[in-house]
Amino acid sequence: MPFSSRAMELILFILYPLALVRVRLIIPALALHGALIVSSAVTYGRIPLIGTHDTLGFLAWSIGVVYLLFGWERKRDAFSYWTIPLVLLLLAGSAVSPVMRGPLPPVLRTIWFELHVILSFISYALFAVGAVFGALYLRDGDRENETAQYRNLLLGYALFSIAMIFGGIWAHLAWGTYWLWTPKELWTTIVWFFYSLYLHARLVKGWTGRPVAWMGIVGFFIVMFTYVGVGLLMKSSHEF
Amino acid sequence: MSFDVRLQANKLAGFYAVTMKNFFLSLKTTVWTLLGLICVFFLGSYLMPAYKDVHAGMNDRLLFQWVEQNALDHPWATSWFFASLAGLVLLAINTVVCSVQAIKGKWSREDFLLRIAPQVVHIGFLCILLAHLLGAGWGYRISGMLPVEAYAKLPDNRSLYLNDLRPLVDDRGNLRDWSAVIAIYEDDRRVATGILGPNEPLFYKGMGVYLKSFDLRERPVAFLMVNKDPGALWALGGSVLFMIGTMIILILKWKKA
Repeated sequence: MPFSSRAMELILFILYPLALVRVRLIIPALALHGALIVSSAVTYGRIPLIGTHDTLGFLAWSIGVVYLLFGWERKRDAFSYWTIPLVLLLLAGSAVSPVMRGPLPPVLRTIWFELHVILSFISYALFAVGAVFGALYLRDGDRENETAQYRNLLLGYALFSIAMIFGGIWAHLAWGTYWLWTPKELWTTIVWFFYSLYLHARLVKGWTGRPVAWMGIVGFFIVMFTYVGVGLLMKSSHEF
Repeated sequence: MSFDVRLQANKLAGFYAVTMKNFFLSLKTTVWTLLGLICVFFLGSYLMPAYKDVHAGMNDRLLFQWVEQNALDHPWATSWFFASLAGLVLLAINTVVCSVQAIKGKWSREDFLLRIAPQVVHIGFLCILLAHLLGAGWGYRISGMLPVEAYAKLPDNRSLYLNDLRPLVDDRGNLRDWSAVIAIYEDDRRVATGILGPNEPLFYKGMGVYLKSFDLRERPVAFLMVNKDPGALWALGGSVLFMIGTMIILILKWKKA
């Protein structure tokens, strides 16, 4: 990555914390970060979502966008104090990760892969902000936070399901099968089962309220393990 | 059998029928089954790398063949797989019973979409499960090396001919892309021709031909896979239903929330 892009990335560490003053002050950080993502796409002629540097950065940006959309009307509160450090943590992870240069491997050059990855990370961002709302609900008992968590997780679940379907179509075209038995696929299914469980449990007496709020928080840790942990610890079809 | 004994037997059968119906109708069954499946898949993600040799063939041939040739001989290593099958069967029955119950009863125009959308999702989910079942037991998956200008025999009285192999190299000499020109013959008649590449298989009557890799060191050879999965269309149809149902639920529940 050119020096100027690295310097711009460092500026993000100053811009994102401005949201701690007021939610809408995240806009300059998102605009710059978005421009960096587009610039990277233009430079390498491919979707900038290959490797830990790209994906952690995109996840941080996506969380920022979801934070802005769901926090637009909010005043400065714990929602910002808990979300912005998460964004900075992911950004730091991205900054220390090696950059993957060059074009996409031929097997990844398909719209199905691009949609699969983009939707996956947007859903991860929704799960992250949903977890924050769950934590807020557990602290304050405010039903609005529980509803906000539900909305985030419902949208995240829908996008995650579509991402899985697009991934299946891509796998069918690339490898002749829409499903592979690997630990990564098992964990992806665990994520899907877990949020299916959340949506059903919310309708069961005795599970509503605090138990499902906790589930929304645990779900995000499962998501992060599926994204980072499985990639580091287990072999899978998701290594490129 | 006396009248009293028959009456008792009927009562018992009725009791069990009601108990089973209530069990499969319950959302708690869904919740606990999903929780069980999560635990079983978690165990699977640990046992798969721990017993690599046992699980190695899972993706290379039909799943039922793997079960017959490998899984049954290693019950501990594959226990997670059989437990997940049991869980999925339970979940499928639970889904069918709940959907049938939801469809029964009076319908009104106001709540039509809210009542039908979850059932569309359920049908989509069941179609995807059926696709896995069909793909696991029927069809075929064959792979192997085929030299250029050579034939390979396929099932259904078909054969495959590799006409050409074309690597695409950039200015620096790096391999950027590759393709293979093939022809499919049926009853000794050429019925399809096409160019294979990454993400570009050739389909003919439900059979897909895939270019996996190639070797140009001596005589040009392509590593090809021929796959017939009778579940693929079910999976696609189920996925479309799942997406439609999920999007309707999302819109309606979002408003409601």
